Amino acid sequence: MRTLQVREALREALRQELEADPSVFVFGEDVAGYGGLDAVTAGLQKEFGPERVFDTPIAESGMAGLAVGAAMMGMRPVVEMQFTGLITVALDQIANSAAKARYVHQGGLTVPMVVRTINFGKGNAYVAQALEAWVAHVPGLKVVAPSTPADSKGLMIASIRDPDPVVFVEHVSLYGREGPVPEEPYTVPLGKASVTRQGSDVTVVTYLSNVPIAEEAADELAAESISVEVVDLRTLVPFDRETVLSSVSKTGRLVVAHEAVRRAGFGAEIVAVVTESEAFRDLKAPVVRVANEGVPVPHSHHLYPHVLPDKDDVIAGIRRALD
Amino acid sequence: MRCNGVNMANATPEDLTPDDLREMYRLMLLGRRFSERAMELAEAGRLPTGLHPSAGQEAVGVGACYGLRDTDWIMPSLRTTEAYWTRGVTLLQMMNAIMANSGSISMGKESFHHCGYPELGIISGPAIVAAQIPMTVGAALGMRMKGTDGVGVCFFGDGATARGDFHEGLNLAALLKAPVVFICENNLYFQTVPTEIGLPIENVADRAASYGLPGTIVDGQDVIAVYEATREGVRRARQGEGPSLVECKTYRFFRHHSTLRETRSLDEVARWKQRDPLTIMAGSLKDQGILDDATIAKTDRRIGEELDAAVEESMATPGPDAREAFTHVYAEPIEAMNI
Repeated sequence: MRTLQVREALREALRQELEADPSVFVFGEDVAGYGGLDAVTAGLQKEFGPERVFDTPIAESGMAGLAVGAAMMGMRPVVEMQFTGLITVALDQIANSAAKARYVHQGGLTVPMVVRTINFGKGNAYVAQALEAWVAHVPGLKVVAPSTPADSKGLMIASIRDPDPVVFVEHVSLYGREGPVPEEPYTVPLGKASVTRQGSDVTVVTYLSNVPIAEEAADELAAESISVEVVDLRTLVPFDRETVLSSVSKTGRLVVAHEAVRRAGFGAEIVAVVTESEAFRDLKAPVVRVANEGVPVPHSHHLYPHVLPDKDDVIAGIRRALD
Repeated sequence: MRCNGVNMANATPEDLTPDDLREMYRLMLLGRRFSERAMELAEAGRLPTGLHPSAGQEAVGVGACYGLRDTDWIMPSLRTTEAYWTRGVTLLQMMNAIMANSGSISMGKESFHHCGYPELGIISGPAIVAAQIPMTVGAALGMRMKGTDGVGVCFFGDGATARGDFHEGLNLAALLKAPVVFICENNLYFQTVPTEIGLPIENVADRAASYGLPGTIVDGQDVIAVYEATREGVRRARQGEGPSLVECKTYRFFRHHSTLRETRSLDEVARWKQRDPLTIMAGSLKDQGILDDATIAKTDRRIGEELDAAVEESMATPGPDAREAFTHVYAEPIEAMNI
């Protein structure tokens, strides 16, 4: 099978959905003429025209509101938040207008829209935020956060076709990640995790940019005969309870890793799900969370590596869980 | 009076028949009687909710919606109750929504002034003031992309013009030439405080110029003036000429909300009551021989009977089943989220 980068896989998903469904349209800041700052949407305007792929002014709340209204009329908008810090500006339209529309209309109006939001990881305290827990908290929203090219394509297509608003989290550090991607359109169902490393000693539950980090940690620890299972959640809402719980029951040890701040981060929810379940009885050790310790991401390359979880942090977390 | 200098309708428009005019009057009267009755019930503690009564502003919702097509969509503000009547919402539907009972269109999920009626082309306006502005622009764009000639009509108060979504919405609408008409119901107060607190210029309509849009000021107490200004905005939108802003200078006759106290001077309220939209329209229609006191009295009596019946039935209708609280969060049941 041919190999694509995540950015190419996302672009292919958008292109195939634009082609297949005239109600799909793509817009945002710099997405059309420039093709997206990381080339995810490159060439789409040329192919589909300015009616269906267009640039907007810097107006994230207006853009999100526009998507909500259009989706209510049966369109399937895909709107980009150029970096995740911007989602704070659009949060009213996402968390209020989009998330509650189906509910208050008793199903009579729905909002099948996709908000693409891009985590930068580094840069500064504003752009380098991981806010997936903010949106995962809101009833009515679904949250997708894939790590591989194949999942990026399949989940993007599934998100566009989903009848509800989806916040689709991307990560700059993943855009160049390569992997096999089928050429034809396909979906990866929302709410299904993927076990990317089979293991028996400890489970690492993670998503998005921390998946490759956890995999590297697993590969390194394999040399010490420590068998690490890596669960890539792929989707936060809906949540794949079954895969997480059965892995924890099997290994008896749980490490949760994400780039977001630890307190009230999505990892807290993962841990809570485990402790509320029968899998809790299978735990042999306290769970460990590997995450941002609770600081804004500093700009300097001398500083941010100390804030963002890396392979060594995940390895240290695994060793603690094995203690 | 601060409504000096606004455009008054010159004569009855040719596209409105005497039946239309009588119907517009009836809708305003129905709105007035509903406001009065709902306030009475609220003050007597018989409603489970408070309300933002629209009395005094009836001409805005009726005038703006009367000429719309079934295929157009509107987003009302919290006080555009007359838009609901004009689009076909019944007194019983409205009372059921107020009582939040099992007859409510939202099955008790939303309060009556945030209820949408998709079959009547009404989208629920969120409680976040001005959020409906970019949403209506999106709806208008969506209608155009779907290949229809539908128009979006967005209602908001003067208070909404201080929020970023007003700017973002009008700016985007202008750039995209979205088929939308913005109706600002300027009742001269941001909730409890005068408009001067939040609007550094006299006219909201003047702001349209900064988006290259036409901005019209009309006497919001004159239903025909509102009708004509909206008709022009809708015509432009439908013909692909883009959006426009209509500012209706108006005034509410009751307090901002049934649970809040009056903050305006009694003198000012009394002066504005001299410009009652019902009196203005009745006077004009009587002069033209289209309406008489006997017909008004008969219409009023019928509305009263319908209102009595709606109040009685809505109060006797049971609440929604508890399970209703948990439905329609997603297309799938909430259990499917697994979290």
